[in-house]
Amino acid sequence: MSGIWRVPAALAVLSTVGLAAAILGDGAWDWICWIALSVPLAVCAVKLWRQRPSPRS
Amino acid sequence: MTPASLRGWRLVHRWTSLICSVNLLILCVTGLILVFHHEIQHLMGEELDTSYQEGQARLPLDTLVDIAHKSDPAKEPKFISFDPEDPAASYIYLSPPGASDFEGGSWVVLNAFTGSNQVLKPPTETVTGFLLKLHVDLFTGFAGQMFVGVMGLLFVVSTVSGLVVYGPFMKKLAFGLLRFGRGTRIANIDLHNLFGVTTLVWAFVVGLTGAILSFSPLIIGYWQQTEMAAMIGRHHGEALTGPTVAVDRVAEAGLVAFPGKDLAFIAFPGNSYASERHFSVGVRGHTELTQRILSVALVDAGTGTLAEKAETPWYITMLLLSGPFHFGDYGGLPLQIIWAIFTIITGVVTVTGFVVWLKRPRARTAPAATFSERKA
Repeated sequence: MSGIWRVPAALAVLSTVGLAAAILGDGAWDWICWIALSVPLAVCAVKLWRQRPSPRS
Repeated sequence: MTPASLRGWRLVHRWTSLICSVNLLILCVTGLILVFHHEIQHLMGEELDTSYQEGQARLPLDTLVDIAHKSDPAKEPKFISFDPEDPAASYIYLSPPGASDFEGGSWVVLNAFTGSNQVLKPPTETVTGFLLKLHVDLFTGFAGQMFVGVMGLLFVVSTVSGLVVYGPFMKKLAFGLLRFGRGTRIANIDLHNLFGVTTLVWAFVVGLTGAILSFSPLIIGYWQQTEMAAMIGRHHGEALTGPTVAVDRVAEAGLVAFPGKDLAFIAFPGNSYASERHFSVGVRGHTELTQRILSVALVDAGTGTLAEKAETPWYITMLLLSGPFHFGDYGGLPLQIIWAIFTIITGVVTVTGFVVWLKRPRARTAPAATFSERKA
């Protein structure tokens, strides 16, 4: 798989696992769901924070 | 991919997105609030009193039906629905005699332990009811609901086509590169690509399940007219003239037919979910997954005996399972918060995508041809 798809594919797998986990049960399943689905959100936040426009420009 | 097919996918992505964008923003804003509808109802004092003593027995169903009926004697009880999360909440539907659908009637909500009648405001007079109506059908009934469903399908096509055009576009760009300070269009393209591709699976699932839920009247109608009609047709279907058996006996017959399951609903004879002479009893399992899947028993209204039982077909199961994956209500408050953030990001993807289109270069020969044009 080329570099373009490495991160998006990983996030897609995590999203799928996260979405499915909480419907399968409670407790640990919920935690898998919360953690897995938080990763794409965290990636957005980190990318945005690290490349935020500087106040000067 | 050939340049021609890439151009085709670009067109598909542009137009499916543009057509659904306004509706999608409405869905994002209303949906964002509706994710927390339980919490809002709690704050507004609109939630039900479902308190009961430990060890207290539930009232017989017949008592509950009587209480509901007395509150509006001109109408007849047609349907009882039970809340899987709350044993005290029973919803009883009353409608004018002869009416088989859910038009022109009213819901009575009773505490199943105390029998106290919880007068509900009409949904459109509550905050969440208003937002839900706007979300589901834009206040235009069935036609609006079908419109929103089609918009949902366009959104699904937009996510898929967006993924297809993402690859060629990102060929020489690092994942998540954000180029602020290179002009509005490039900044919006980068935000759109990063947010769009990271939330793609969530957006696809929520869009698709939303479209399925929009088309639920058609899906349920098909089931009623095919499998349910066939099930009912195998038994003598003339209307019962004498008295019907007790509702508790009907419930018992349904529960015996499916050992270990809980009541989900009971439809009375004459309702569109039952026949002229049968009750239908819907049951569900206990787990997070199986409590959302129904099975149905047909119970003779004159004798209280089981006429037939059946699992619901795959498309009804698909419809029932679309609920949690659209509402995000199956993993507690943390999942609701995650759902809300995804919703906000989807709104940002919609707006940035729209800005990219607004700022499109007017002529391909323009000296300031942008990056995406050069890539194409």
